[in-house]
Amino acid sequence: MENAVREKAKGLLTSGEVKVVIGWGWNRNGTRTTPVFITRPEDAGRLVWNPLCVNNLSVYLTRKFKDIQALGRPAIVAKGCDIKNIAVLVSEAQVKREDVYIIGVTCDGVVYRQELWKGELTPNIMPTKCHNCDVRNPHIADCVIGDRSGFVPPEAPAGMVFDRIKALDAKESAQRWEFWIKEFSRCVKCYACRQVCSLCYCERCITEKNMPQWIETSAHPRGNLSWNLTRAMHLAGRCTFCGECERACPVNIPLNLVNQKLITVVKDAFDYRSGYDASAHPPMIVFSPEDKENFIK
Amino acid sequence: MADKFLKRENLGRLIDSVRNGGARFVAPAIDARQAVYRAISGADEVTWDYILPRNSFKDYLFPQTEVVAEYSIGEGGVEIRGRELSPKDTVVFGSRPCEAASLASLRSVFTWDSVDEFYTAREDKTTVVTVACTNGDEACFCTTVGLSPESVAGSDVMLRETADGDFSVTAITGRGRGFLSAHSAAFEDSGSGSAQKPLFVPEKIEGVDISRIKERLARKEHYDDPVWAGLTRKCIGCGACTFVCPTCHCFDIIDEGTAFEGERRKNWDACQFDSFTLHASGHNPRDAQFKRWRNRFMCKFNFYPNKFNSRGCVGCGRCIRVCPVRLDITEVMEEMSR
Amino acid sequence: MGEHTEHTQTTGNSSEPRIMAFVCNWCTYAGADLAGTSRMEYRPNVRVIKLPCTGRIDPLFIIKAFENGADGVLVSGCHPGDCHYTTGNYHARRRWIAFKNLMEFVGIDMRRLHFSWVSASEAIKWVDLINNVTEEVGKLGPFMEYKGLGAQAVE
Repeated sequence: MENAVREKAKGLLTSGEVKVVIGWGWNRNGTRTTPVFITRPEDAGRLVWNPLCVNNLSVYLTRKFKDIQALGRPAIVAKGCDIKNIAVLVSEAQVKREDVYIIGVTCDGVVYRQELWKGELTPNIMPTKCHNCDVRNPHIADCVIGDRSGFVPPEAPAGMVFDRIKALDAKESAQRWEFWIKEFSRCVKCYACRQVCSLCYCERCITEKNMPQWIETSAHPRGNLSWNLTRAMHLAGRCTFCGECERACPVNIPLNLVNQKLITVVKDAFDYRSGYDASAHPPMIVFSPEDKENFIK
Repeated sequence: MADKFLKRENLGRLIDSVRNGGARFVAPAIDARQAVYRAISGADEVTWDYILPRNSFKDYLFPQTEVVAEYSIGEGGVEIRGRELSPKDTVVFGSRPCEAASLASLRSVFTWDSVDEFYTAREDKTTVVTVACTNGDEACFCTTVGLSPESVAGSDVMLRETADGDFSVTAITGRGRGFLSAHSAAFEDSGSGSAQKPLFVPEKIEGVDISRIKERLARKEHYDDPVWAGLTRKCIGCGACTFVCPTCHCFDIIDEGTAFEGERRKNWDACQFDSFTLHASGHNPRDAQFKRWRNRFMCKFNFYPNKFNSRGCVGCGRCIRVCPVRLDITEVMEEMSR
Repeated sequence: MGEHTEHTQTTGNSSEPRIMAFVCNWCTYAGADLAGTSRMEYRPNVRVIKLPCTGRIDPLFIIKAFENGADGVLVSGCHPGDCHYTTGNYHARRRWIAFKNLMEFVGIDMRRLHFSWVSASEAIKWVDLINNVTEEVGKLGPFMEYKGLGAQAVE
């Protein structure tokens, strides 16, 4: 399968159909995967595909990466979950579907974090998104590489994202407050969560607007809370639960809980799941007169 | 030759002795599945299972956010109150040789030109107790930058683990000797005679030559070398590497509060942020990520050694471990050694 | 500093709750105006900020209100179907559904965050709303959990 990816990349570069293939390659020691940008057919052999290919490379399609765009038309090697983000980018007019060649790869799951890899992919080192995956066979792609995955999601171990959300919901608000303030208090404002997210594509983030300073840049609990609330809110109805923000977080803030909570809210309230249909309108830019709620008195 | 010995089970005694003397005891503890430096109240909080804590102990010398002044505007006009700094004596226990070596780097930058008393006042009150490395991982590269798992630069006291899990203790500085005598009850005069546990010595990365890097960076041509863009294309521009780095020291001054009262804060900043060098005019001299990355690399291997004659990189490898896209600084070092 | 600007205290333990209300220009503000011109009395604890439309209310306004010492926040605008700009309140409603759930999830006591539709003719509803919200927030006391967040001792 890895060879098929390489062959495909080589073909695309040779024919000139694309100028760069964005994929995963090994680091120097061959112990971790890292994003690579292949521009010459003879380098296509550097591409790899394995359960360590966890990065969602769709971030490199966003306008933040001008020097990558300058290389020319890209092809991107993408798992189903990565393709969800591309679908959102297309639906939000950030990327034209015809401007990117999607090399979809069928996927039986990846690791939650690469340092957990001990040579075998077991359910307890997989992220929640893999346990509940419904896009093992890419749903939008120009070509799909790999046999159709008949993989049955393993029984999700207890204590994963949905369980934790349920447990939090069952608590008193004061306890949830205590939980989140403690979690957010570790935030160092490195903004890795924002930078790694392909849907945080604003060229000027609200945190960088300082006249007035809407979000305090200090990494004290108040500034951290307002940053994390705003980040979550700006992704409401858009986040595809790819989990990159939580993976990138150097201080292990459980951002997947906030993201999945809002995904569930949007699903329940507006019957919308992002990332499946590139022609759908994102739910927060449209409305229905029939929208239901029970809290506006 | 060891001055003293510390039995592992006597760590609690040492912690008590330090704390009873009114000092703060900072050591690695597990928080959110990571070892982090934290103020400790008892030995049971301390973890021994770590390579390096997630955060650098610069957190305790140069905090991520701190108030430097307060202001208020009232009937009597504007009042500005500076912060009197009277830092607590602090013992950082369980540091590593790479990290201890960063103290000289921080001091050089914070005492150059004007003296940053917020830093120096704290550093003057800090005792660094380092434990020589008996474990590490592939991100460790101290030997490549000229340090070793038992180098003593920056440490006041050096601990070396013995095969039976206790420690031989060596005072490195006067402050270290003072520390040993002040808390002598926690230490033994003689050890069990057990041999030293083997050190974890990271293999020196063959392709890296620090002096060649320095030479290459000193020539202006490298600046426009397309190699930079290629090497750092995957960088997403977060500040994780700089925030965990023990030698990164950039900060921003901001005012927080209302028009009538508030505080002036000194907050960490990162050269990897695209707004770091953004001018008020809208011009940005580092307008692409590779330029920001080039700056980070230049800072460590050109500015620091040339301007301060100190080390910009201590080889702790935190930036490699934490990078969401695994941009490995040693791979760039290797390329720049060519 | 001009004498028109009130000195805004960000701290304080006064038992009188401070309510921040973000209201739309066309319905709720007019409703509050009607209450005023009709000489109806109600609790003085509310500070009203008028915006063109509820669609203009960024969730950050609410976060900012709490940061600046509000003990409770009220958001109010035209009833569905009545928006001066036709659809602004429908957009706002979607946003609030997400935001309210987010705030609840992070543990903000929902007795401190209120949403209401008040039309230009509903002066009595406005009066009752303010009295009720003031009462409810007053029982909870000052929002010390939020006010305490900024303070962080560094040694």
